[in-house]
Amino acid sequence: MTSEPTKTPTMIECHSCGAGAPLREHFCPQCTNILQLSRHGDYFSYFGLPRQLQLDPQELEKRFRDLSRQFHPDFFYNGPATLKLASLERSSYLNDAYRVLKNTAARAEYLLGLEGLSPLKAEATAASKVAVPASLLEEVFAFNEELDEIREARESGAPHGALVERLERARAPIVLKQDEHEHQVEALCAQWDADHSRATLEALRECLLERHYLTNLLATIDREAASLASA
Amino acid sequence: MGKVVGIDLGTTNSLVAYVGEAGPVVIRDASGDALVPSIVSVADDNTFFVGREAQRRLLTAPARTVYSVKRFMGRGLSDVKDEAAHMPFAFAPGDGEALRIQLGSHALTPPEISAFVLRELKHRAEEHFREAGEFDFEVDRAVITVPAYFNDAQRTATRDAGRLAGLEVLRIINEPTAASLAYGLGSKDRGTVAVYDLGGGTFDISILKIEDGVFQVLATNGDTHLGGDDVDQLLVAHIAEALRAIGVAALSPEATQAVRKAAIQAKWDLSDQDSTEIRVEPAPGLPSGFRQAITRSDFEQLIQSLVERTLGPCRQALTDAGLKAADVDEVVLVGGSTRIPLVRRSVETLFGRKPHSDLNPDEVVALGAAVQADILVSGRREMLLLDVTPLSLGLETMGGVVSKIILRNSTIPTTGREMFTTAVDNQTAVDMHILQGERELASDCRSLARFRLRGIPPLPAGLARIEVVFQIDANGILSVSARELKTAVEQTIEVKPSYGLSDDEVEQMLIDSFEHAEADFDARLLIEARNEAESVVNATEKSLRLPEFPQVAAEELQPGEQAAIEAALADLKASLLAIDRAVIQERTLALNHATQHLAEVVMNRTVKAALSGKNVSEV
Repeated sequence: MTSEPTKTPTMIECHSCGAGAPLREHFCPQCTNILQLSRHGDYFSYFGLPRQLQLDPQELEKRFRDLSRQFHPDFFYNGPATLKLASLERSSYLNDAYRVLKNTAARAEYLLGLEGLSPLKAEATAASKVAVPASLLEEVFAFNEELDEIREARESGAPHGALVERLERARAPIVLKQDEHEHQVEALCAQWDADHSRATLEALRECLLERHYLTNLLATIDREAASLASA
Repeated sequence: MGKVVGIDLGTTNSLVAYVGEAGPVVIRDASGDALVPSIVSVADDNTFFVGREAQRRLLTAPARTVYSVKRFMGRGLSDVKDEAAHMPFAFAPGDGEALRIQLGSHALTPPEISAFVLRELKHRAEEHFREAGEFDFEVDRAVITVPAYFNDAQRTATRDAGRLAGLEVLRIINEPTAASLAYGLGSKDRGTVAVYDLGGGTFDISILKIEDGVFQVLATNGDTHLGGDDVDQLLVAHIAEALRAIGVAALSPEATQAVRKAAIQAKWDLSDQDSTEIRVEPAPGLPSGFRQAITRSDFEQLIQSLVERTLGPCRQALTDAGLKAADVDEVVLVGGSTRIPLVRRSVETLFGRKPHSDLNPDEVVALGAAVQADILVSGRREMLLLDVTPLSLGLETMGGVVSKIILRNSTIPTTGREMFTTAVDNQTAVDMHILQGERELASDCRSLARFRLRGIPPLPAGLARIEVVFQIDANGILSVSARELKTAVEQTIEVKPSYGLSDDEVEQMLIDSFEHAEADFDARLLIEARNEAESVVNATEKSLRLPEFPQVAAEELQPGEQAAIEAALADLKASLLAIDRAVIQERTLALNHATQHLAEVVMNRTVKAALSGKNVSEV
């Protein structure tokens, strides 16, 4: 899925008065009405933020509240249909943008897409079908072996309490690895903000993929534990 | 433009409120009662009764009286099979999934039944504004609340009910969020609040962050089939067991209602007493004067597991909000069932702090709905409510697996996008199945609708690129649009809701309801005649009970006058049991006439007493 080759416009036409407004504006500088949502632009510029991976969560939240107060459909209830629609679309985009930007990993993934790297989504959603990342081979191998044994023991009627404990023990190194990746993602984000280099982005992408793999593995463990608990 | 109100359309009771000059107020009837029981009943002559009037008929005409209809909103016949067995009213044999309730000769959908309750509230509010001397007293717009955990079909059904009642539904908002608006009113509060809302039929938990007047819901969870009704049901089963022990095997509908009434009274008693006696009123097939003692600890044992069922959703909501119980600054209780001491204790234990219940838990949701209605029409910006969608939205893909497009607890409004293409050359339509829920298989989620995307330009297979946009608006209601990106052709989408009504069906019902308007008007006149009669009865009984009455009677009444008053009173009371408006009005007049002299006498004595001992200049 590649994006179509389009020249990215920098202005948007105000549907209320016909004047042109820069893309980063939310309200027409001429007539002050809310502008319809452009199909161009990105989450960072929408919040008036530079394309940086480190950001102050409190500042982000404050901007989110301020923009919500400007766009929300509640405040356009009596307005004409075009402005109502613009407010709905701008609020939706704002909420979607905030959801992505407030989470470090989601923010980094989003930036990869903006910078033209292929998205992680398709690969990440089906962990079982994806090759184990090389750096995780050791942990994953050990874990899978343990999981198989736990399942076997369960089949042969071992007490569930003991199995749950075993599962918890098997979980610990994965959680540790996950924490490592959190730190690594943060470090790479800081590095990208400093060097804006392609190599850093590639490394970040690799790290995020591994992190996804671990997240899915932990979800598998949770399901296993839940089925033990409910059995 | 007419008036705007906020409505809490509850499982057991409904209320209407508005924002006046002094802030939000709940509208009460002449006797000061704010609650309209969410009950609808129909008489043999097709007269409809709503509220208290219908509630009285629960005991006398159970098969023609519908309660707790909210539990059936937006649901299909197959969903409610188990529950339907407990209900004394019947479900119409339906075509497919559409659910209809048999009310006399009418087979009505849950939105149509709810519309009766909404019309009653609309009328109550209009009367209030008219009496207040407002020139434009018509109520034409409303914010209506729903449980936070209601899915799209249930929200849409509620909006349809509003339209059927002649209201423009400005917004559907979530009950716990509405409650937080009422609580946060005028304060400069900030912090994290958990709203625990256990009503008649539904349970919600919402975790909010409040700052700068923005009420942002972080996470919500709940159970749309858990509430006071279930508590009643457990007590009914408990009583039925005791009845079986003395040889009463099956309960008639009348007996079931008598038992249910006794169960509800016992539940109320046990909120402030350690023990009580269940007293069942006489009904066909019951031993007369059946009584059974019950202690609070018996009761708590009975409902323990039910109360525990609310704690799982609370923990899940905290997890989804990324918080621990200790991070919550305040806990607010909403809904009548939070009066149960065990519920309060359980909530206090879970969150480790004493919950708030400063505002009346029955009224706080309607007050919040009124505040939101006022925000919408006034454009005031001091407060803003940002809610979330309670359930994930997805599409069925290969092998019946759901691919999630919008995740639960996403702030609304929100959008989700999905790209589609064609599988064969010149294909011009694509089918989709949209679902709501957290499970991975389509069969375990709620089916919302099936769509057919039409008008795709004929292209070789795989070349068309259709972008489908799922928009959840600020009501939490979904709409879908699509366009082919290569040609920018907008697609038309045919929606077949899985459980709800189509727009055409709602239109038809609106037309039908105008045709029924005359019958509705008659019902209204009857209710008004009864209310009038009841107030005359009350006033008369009050005079007869006055301590000075025997003296008044001896000194000032004609011989036989007291007997005449008592006879007229008994006649009028007897007529209230029937539904003949002319008779009620005639006897009301007769009683008024019989008591006229007495009223004058009492008035004169009062005035004399007030003036005695005062000199002329003071008068």
